[in-house]
Amino acid sequence: MRFSLGALVELLGPALLVIVVGLLATTASASNEVYFLNALVSVAIVVAIYVFVGISGVLSFGQISFVAVGAFAAGVMTVPVESKKGVLTTIFPILRDHSVGNVPSLLLAAALGGVFAFVVGMPLMRLSGLAAGIATFAVLEITHNVLREWTKIGPGATTLALVPETTGALQATLGALVAIVVAFLYQRSRRGRLLRASREDPAVARSVGVNIHLERLLAFTVSGALAGFAGALYVHLLGSITTEQVYLELTFLTLAMLVIGGLTSLWGAVVGALAVSGLDSFLSRAEQSDVHVIFTFTLWQGTRLVFLAAIMALVLILRPSGLTGGREFRLRWLRRR
Amino acid sequence: MPEAAALELDGVEVRYGSVSAVRDLTLRVGKGEIVGLIGPNGAGKSTTLNAIMGLQPAHRGEIKLNGQALRRRSVESIARAGIALVPEGRRIFGDFTVEENLRLGLAARRRTYIGDPFGPAFELFPILSEFRGRQAGALSGGQQQQLAIGRALVSRPDLLLLDEPSLGLAPLAVDGIFKAFTEIREVGTTILLVEQRAQRTVALANRTHVLVGGELRMTLGPADADDTEKIIAAYLAS
Repeated sequence: MRFSLGALVELLGPALLVIVVGLLATTASASNEVYFLNALVSVAIVVAIYVFVGISGVLSFGQISFVAVGAFAAGVMTVPVESKKGVLTTIFPILRDHSVGNVPSLLLAAALGGVFAFVVGMPLMRLSGLAAGIATFAVLEITHNVLREWTKIGPGATTLALVPETTGALQATLGALVAIVVAFLYQRSRRGRLLRASREDPAVARSVGVNIHLERLLAFTVSGALAGFAGALYVHLLGSITTEQVYLELTFLTLAMLVIGGLTSLWGAVVGALAVSGLDSFLSRAEQSDVHVIFTFTLWQGTRLVFLAAIMALVLILRPSGLTGGREFRLRWLRRR
Repeated sequence: MPEAAALELDGVEVRYGSVSAVRDLTLRVGKGEIVGLIGPNGAGKSTTLNAIMGLQPAHRGEIKLNGQALRRRSVESIARAGIALVPEGRRIFGDFTVEENLRLGLAARRRTYIGDPFGPAFELFPILSEFRGRQAGALSGGQQQQLAIGRALVSRPDLLLLDEPSLGLAPLAVDGIFKAFTEIREVGTTILLVEQRAQRTVALANRTHVLVGGELRMTLGPADADDTEKIIAAYLAS
């Protein structure tokens, strides 16, 4: 694969932005650091969703299933064995008696996310449009209920705690960068281009020999692996997690990030994740205590999601293709200003 | 007469719901021939091409490429069997560069060839080589049509289906692509050409079938090209 200068700029734009946020995280106060780390993990999740939804043009409400699988797999497998015997008494002995380190847990989560996406993708990738949206939503429901009810593989409806908090500024930044680089390489690859062509004109893509089902399945699998990986980053950031944290609200929030940033570009996924995550952090702080912006105010509980939804609607009305217009990062934008 | 048939249609019927757009269509295109398909709007010309490509499955009849049955096969497997379609309205990918558009055509290639994979396109249309790094959407109409034909040719098809390639082009650009068809035939590629420019098509093609109301009405040879009355009569036969 050869890259032109323009292509490298496409990669460097989002990568540098993520590195800047990572550096800001290291300079922030301990109580503020988590907001930056959250933003970086959001980048990883949204980029994972972008790899399928953005490039294929097929809507999926199910990608958070793979985040959930990755988060719980990495979480359950990194709780120290002696603690597991006390808190995760019902799980399979093989899971109870073994633990892995931080990096292996990230890889395990990616592998599980990829395999799970491949298996559910085989039948689902024949669908498009609304049918695909509903079917992938069904996957989210199934995953959520299995994780919540099956106490042989995890904590069930209770909180999974005592997960090592290894996602600091370094791991969050590197994690987001890994997701960006994988997405970039995939979208620049021959396969990525075939899928993009199928998004623009399925009939023509098929008549030049593109097997759309296969290309979508491949993207779904890559997306699932990245989502699993991002889930692992997430659980190592939080330290404890419940199934509700990787369910509807996260699905809505991450899709909003992608749509607000610009559905059809990697740059849009990164910008949207950071912008909405920043806003979300600000609003959730304003719900908890006084914030000072020109004057001091506190928001009522629950206004956060109302605000976010309103802003999503507003962006869609004013800029239907998102903040970035669905285009990749280019230096020309900087020069024009 | 040609030797073996590259494409055979036998009693093909294509329906949209309960309406049949093409009825009992039988025709053959010999290896290395250009066969024209002309007729008024709505005669079923594009439908015939789409049925061959598998985009609009035929309801009845046989479609064969080099003796191999195509009906009920998927579009992409038909493409890989050696048929390339240049769709009406060009339908190139405007956000992609010229080279990326051509690269898509390689998806249906059956084997790898020595030399430049885009050779078949660049030899015929050198402008594509010159503009390979440009955004396809920025090309002129004629150049976009060249790109659409080039994209089809890089898969090295046995049979090229062309759907109104001269539509909306300037007269000079029309001359250019008609000249290209002759050159494509010279390298042994078979062409089924759907056109509105009846006279030019009749003059170029080995045979030209007139399709009216989904049925074959008449077959014309190059000698009939100057017989304007005969062509008009064929159109009005309905």
